[in-house]
Amino acid sequence: MALFEARGLHKRFGHQVVLERIDLSFEAGSLSGIMGPNGAGKTTCFNVLTGRYKPDRGSVRFDGEDITGLAPHRIVGRGISRSFQIMNLFDEYTALDNVVIALPQVRARGFSVTHALDADTEARDRAEAVLGRVGLRGRERTNVRSLSYGERRALEIGVALATEPRLLFVDEPTAGLGTSATGRLAELIRELKRHTTIVMIEHDMRFLFALADRISVIHWGQVIAEGTPDELRENPWVRRSNLGGLA
Amino acid sequence: MLLHLLPHILNGLALGLLFALLALGFMLIIGVMEVINLAHGSLFALGAYVALAVMSPDGGLPFAFMEPYYALPAVARYAIALVVGPLVVAVVGMGLELCLRRTYGTDPLYGLLLTFGAALVLEEVIRAIWGSSEYFLPVPRGISGGFIAGDLIWSTYRIYAAAFAAVMIGVLWLFLNKTPYGAVIKAGAHDSEMVRALGYNLTRLRLLVFGFGAALAGVAGIVMAPIWGIRPVVGVDAVIPAFVIIVLGGVGSFWGAVSAGILVGLVVALTAAFFTDWSLLSMYLLLLAVVTFRARGLAGKSSVLEA
Amino acid sequence: MDYDVKQTTAWITAPILLSFAVFGTLPLWIEAVGLYHYLGAEVLIWVIFALGYNLLLGYTGLPSFGHGAFLGIGAYAFGLAQFEVWPNLWFCLLAAVVVTGLFGAVTALFLSHRRGIYFALMTIAFGQVFFFIASKWTDVTHGEDGLLNIARLPVDLGVVALPVTGNVEFYYLCFAVYAVLVVLLWRLTNSPYGRILRAIKQNETRVAFVGYPVRLYKWSVFTLSCAVAGLAGGLFAMAQEGAYINVMSLQWSGIIVLMVLIGGGFVSFWGPVLGVVLYFVARDILGAYTETWLLWFGLMFVALVMFKPQGLAGIWQDIARRAVARRKPVPVAATGAEG
Repeated sequence: MALFEARGLHKRFGHQVVLERIDLSFEAGSLSGIMGPNGAGKTTCFNVLTGRYKPDRGSVRFDGEDITGLAPHRIVGRGISRSFQIMNLFDEYTALDNVVIALPQVRARGFSVTHALDADTEARDRAEAVLGRVGLRGRERTNVRSLSYGERRALEIGVALATEPRLLFVDEPTAGLGTSATGRLAELIRELKRHTTIVMIEHDMRFLFALADRISVIHWGQVIAEGTPDELRENPWVRRSNLGGLA
Repeated sequence: MLLHLLPHILNGLALGLLFALLALGFMLIIGVMEVINLAHGSLFALGAYVALAVMSPDGGLPFAFMEPYYALPAVARYAIALVVGPLVVAVVGMGLELCLRRTYGTDPLYGLLLTFGAALVLEEVIRAIWGSSEYFLPVPRGISGGFIAGDLIWSTYRIYAAAFAAVMIGVLWLFLNKTPYGAVIKAGAHDSEMVRALGYNLTRLRLLVFGFGAALAGVAGIVMAPIWGIRPVVGVDAVIPAFVIIVLGGVGSFWGAVSAGILVGLVVALTAAFFTDWSLLSMYLLLLAVVTFRARGLAGKSSVLEA
Repeated sequence: MDYDVKQTTAWITAPILLSFAVFGTLPLWIEAVGLYHYLGAEVLIWVIFALGYNLLLGYTGLPSFGHGAFLGIGAYAFGLAQFEVWPNLWFCLLAAVVVTGLFGAVTALFLSHRRGIYFALMTIAFGQVFFFIASKWTDVTHGEDGLLNIARLPVDLGVVALPVTGNVEFYYLCFAVYAVLVVLLWRLTNSPYGRILRAIKQNETRVAFVGYPVRLYKWSVFTLSCAVAGLAGGLFAMAQEGAYINVMSLQWSGIIVLMVLIGGGFVSFWGPVLGVVLYFVARDILGAYTETWLLWFGLMFVALVMFKPQGLAGIWQDIARRAVARRKPVPVAATGAEG
């Protein structure tokens, strides 16, 4: 049984059906990709899978347990985390503080009024380790506003990583990055893949096809194709759409 | 029993259409600039006070020297009030928009605090000029007073108010849907970025729409004045129904606002019929109920209100 | 724009001690500067109210525009506890805190999943509803006349009961309450709980997505700020020797917003204190010259929101930072890695 399964997801906003009979499953230890044109429903799909929206119909199961309709913070508590396409950071904090707040050990003390967070060296070390993994070593004390775009994208993933998830949803991580940063990001994802199951939405086809084990194609709110990168290269729809010019 | 309610229903209709007019101005502003103007009610109140100054030599202002003006027939002065009032309010509204510019792009909390502060300042300005006591707006004899028809007492003014508001709403609809200016405003409400891309001066559009929305509030305030009385706190009481209406009717829906307006007006009027003390409170309770039960899943610009 | 991120582990800091020094000695110098003792008590009462309120506005970013209602509820609760149950200072203050906290807890149920304009308008509506109930439920509140003859109950320490009927003694009671509260609130705002509140203000969505029950935080901070308002209300009832509806009006609810922002509640724990002091100085000194002093206060608020939402404390911090920079020039930091 797959680590994460979504069955028959259906979601409408007003008169618009955004997701229709979506079935997805992600195996533990794999990197699954989700691709499709803009407006196809990819981010909505993510939002439903991670608890931001409740599906009108269908179920979502993680590690055998039903998590359909659970609030986001409960889903995080189960071991799922996500990064955002439009960056969702704590702009007034430093990179370090952004990550510290996401650590499970800090979360456990979330209602403490006496614990001295600044003196908590264990938390700080953990946070610095996470920042190191995403390539932000040396930038811990820098305020988010002073970070470059690429650094903020890295921090965006870092915050999601800090919750120590078993399954990480990553939404368009390469958006707006230049070539060298994208290369570094690919390295990071490859490293993360060894410890975490990853599900990634991406537009950059070369990036996605190089990293993903399986890819689902979503168009008009439905999964229209699914398979390994090699299988999809032969898929007539993918070829006709000429996404990203995969020769 | 039900027949006795008819005059109250007329009252509700008048209130409702005026609320709708107020809410439409509120909505236009939200549409084109994503700002919830908490000072909208104060602009409504200001309209009434300006009309007061235009209509009455006792209207709180030291215009006693303008005796020849005040000797003009009431109808003439009222007509002048209906023009000058909204104009003054429009200017104030545009001034507010200029102040708001500094908060664009920042946390929406600051825009909210600014309009809140503006509402407070406007109320204090009103108190400084006119004092805190209640005034009554003198209106031309033709539209005041009442008459008896079918064993019931009817208020002439309510009929006039309902008709006036209905006409204004109709004119507004024609303006938005049949004129090129209206088309730009509607487009701007839908997608302000696109409007800018099409070459329109978005900054100027925002300024004018804010002024226009303010003018609508001012007109509604003038016509509402004989019904609600003229007091500084009227501003707060006015912004509540405007908000309830757009939550109920949907941001961006013209006829949604009108029907929601009529509904709110009827609720207030019928509450006044049965429990006079509670009529204003009914609006606040309505807001609590509407936001609690209805405020999810707004079509269109839900993002503005969620922020 | 945020608070000094370096959160101290200390319970008592230099600014706290400074405030003790200033407020502790107030009765000794207040008359020398041409003011009066009762003003000191008023200031402390509103400082307490404002510190509790800033937890909501400055720290969590929740705009409550109807908070004056809770100050009023606290005052009425104190008076009613005194008349109907037990005229003991501690009991009545506790009643004020608990009753107002309960009102806050119930109100917060409607508010805890909202923010921004919805939150603001709901708080206005609740404030007006409470105001209305207070003015109409004359059996309990005596309506517009107010609840009169609330006594300044003596400080009952078991072996001795210290009277606080005089303004100086009463001031010291307020000071004692302030001293305890300010230490507790300082600890709270510097705790993990406080850090989450500040994170919620910056990005509520992300806080939920890193695993925190955001609704619970918002509910609890609202309830807490109401409990503090209740405490201030109890003291207020004793100060005025009565409980009246006027403080529950929208105008007074607006004034606390003005005080807190002008003082710099968004960037400093002490902002509300500065704002309250400035308000009363404006009222008593400016007010001697013009009746429209509140208008000027409001204009100051609007100007600050436009140009310096960090308020007075923010301006002070800028000056302090520039003074430090002038003394020790900092080498230009190396630019960050390529993006």
